[in-house]
Amino acid sequence: MNMLLTISWRNIWRHPARSGILLVAIIAGLWAGIVTMGWGKGMVQQRSDYLIRSELSHAQIHHPEFLAEREPWMHIPEAEEVSRWLAGDERIRNHTMRSRADAMAQSPLTTTGVRLIGVDIDTEPDVTTMHRQLTVGEYLDSDVRQPVFIGERLAEKLNLEIGHRLVVRFQDMDNEITAGAFTISGLYRTASSDFDERNVFVRKEHLSELLAQEPVVHEIAMVLHDMEMVDEVVADLNRLFPGVSAQSWYEISPELRYMNDMIGIMLYFIIGIIMLALAFGILNTMLMAIFERVRELGMLLSIGMSKRRVFSMIMLESVMLSLSGAAAGMLLSRLSIGWLSRHGIDLSMFGDGLAEFGIDAVIYPVLDGQDFVVVAIIVIAATLIASIWPGLKAIRLNPIVAARE
Amino acid sequence: MSIIKTEKLSKVYNPDTVPVHALREVTMSIEQGEFTAIVGPSGSGKTTLLNMLGGLDRPSDGSVFINDTNVTGLSDKKRIDFRLNNIGFVFQHYNLIPVFTARENVSFIMLLQKRGKEEMQRRADQLLEEVGLGDRKDARPGELSGGQQQRVAVARALATEPRFILADEPTANLDSASAMNLLDLMEQMNREKGVTFIFSTHDQRVIERARRVITMVDGRIDTDEVRKSETDAA
Ligand SMILES: Nc1ncnc2c1ncn2[C@@H]1O[C@H](COP(=O)(O)OP(=O)(O)O)[C@@H](O)[C@H]1O
Ligand SMILES: [Mg+2]
Repeated sequence: MNMLLTISWRNIWRHPARSGILLVAIIAGLWAGIVTMGWGKGMVQQRSDYLIRSELSHAQIHHPEFLAEREPWMHIPEAEEVSRWLAGDERIRNHTMRSRADAMAQSPLTTTGVRLIGVDIDTEPDVTTMHRQLTVGEYLDSDVRQPVFIGERLAEKLNLEIGHRLVVRFQDMDNEITAGAFTISGLYRTASSDFDERNVFVRKEHLSELLAQEPVVHEIAMVLHDMEMVDEVVADLNRLFPGVSAQSWYEISPELRYMNDMIGIMLYFIIGIIMLALAFGILNTMLMAIFERVRELGMLLSIGMSKRRVFSMIMLESVMLSLSGAAAGMLLSRLSIGWLSRHGIDLSMFGDGLAEFGIDAVIYPVLDGQDFVVVAIIVIAATLIASIWPGLKAIRLNPIVAARE
Repeated sequence: MSIIKTEKLSKVYNPDTVPVHALREVTMSIEQGEFTAIVGPSGSGKTTLLNMLGGLDRPSDGSVFINDTNVTGLSDKKRIDFRLNNIGFVFQHYNLIPVFTARENVSFIMLLQKRGKEEMQRRADQLLEEVGLGDRKDARPGELSGGQQQRVAVARALATEPRFILADEPTANLDSASAMNLLDLMEQMNREKGVTFIFSTHDQRVIERARRVITMVDGRIDTDEVRKSETDAA
């Protein structure tokens, strides 16, 4: 067995350039595939982490039809009761209550549809991180009268600046059109310019006053100590408060989970295609190796080397060659991902374009052990499959070619 | 007792398209200890005959017996095994594994026979000494002359302790000095160890060294002549 390994290993290096090129191709292909995979996963994870932290929170409670209909009267009458329960439950870290209204924002130039979100400035920062997106001015704790916190993008669109007035019109609880004037206290920017253009934050008490002249709660958002508990908490809430609908982050934003699943499939697809290309490389190299060694293989069969051994020899040769490439490629990828997950991949040169899709400019690739295992299995399977044909080809040779001129 | 016997051995290549009658009803036998040359013009069927004797190819008709085994009837798998343990081969070229040293080439075939590692090493060294390559054991075929390569092939053929050695034009690629040296070696092994050699050639000086000369013409045995050589007389 040892000699079979030796012969296979030395055969690999009969054509150092040819084997070297294949090795480099395997290493580069795997590296590119795995880093792309890590980048894609990192991007999606960053996006979903970010969305959860900045707007979604872990779970939200609404009137059962609010998310679909968004009518002002679809509020949560038992908000105080729910809030007490949330405050008393150990699994919940923080929660906050909001009032909401869909409105038209006006400027001397133009009018645009926005979503007004009335937040409780004492508890909101414990649930979402929107306040940290501030780029200019002050958050809603500003001293200005009726402060409003809007996206840079909206400010640009409406041609407004800090200190300017923003007039919004919307339906109140009695379906009467009402108008409110707010003073822009600060501007924010998130990775998504679309979000920035549509979401307008005011203080909950100011929005409630315009909606109903009394406190109104349309939405309760919460963060848990352990995000994995979300399904359990949501189930408890729905059982205890039948009049409202509690939903987890992924129920509120199913596209986020879909995105997670899709990117996973897509990335394995990419790895699959790369491996297909590499398998053809392996096949080609090994077939070349066999065609130029027809006489030698015939001689081995003639002198009494069994077909099983000839097959093993060829398999070993191609498996050793490709697996050493694969091992090197995976190690390199592992190290690269390790480094990149700390330092990030900065695509800010394309940053503006990416922001349209809500993608951060700096991505920290991630891949877990399981991903590496799956890639390793794909690689080994592709290698073995690509090696079988050359092996079979070798044993189908007729030994008499060795003896013939 | 004959170690090889053929009965009405025939071989037709491409029977369905352009039939080539390479062997026509060849009946012959070889005795233990022979030093026999198969001679004849190119295309007369020497290689085909040796391939049949070595179980490398199947006859179209007739049979080959080696001792009492009907080689023709063996399965492919059994024939490979049979060759390994009963027949030594020396070809005209592409004899050796280029990535192996002379010693590894000789050891390798004993590994196929599943001999012990120590025995393999010892025998390989001893055989290489005997064929006069004691100082080139670690050379790879590419570093050896054509004559030296053929000597390694002879050492390898001897390593398995075969019943006989088949050599198809073993000297055809060698200059005449190397050819005569190789013949000396084969003759010595035949004389000292009683190894049976059957080799094909069309080199007149090689033919002169044989003790039995079977001449092939057009797939048939034309003459079969046993000579008394000096070594026999001595
Ligand atoms: N594999 C083959 N296919 C077809 N014809 C062959 C094959 N091998 C040998 N022949 C033919 O059989 C005849 C005998 O060939 P061969 O045994 O090689 O003769 P020699 O070794 O005496 O030169 C020749 O006419 C040759 O062309
Ligand atoms: Mg011939």
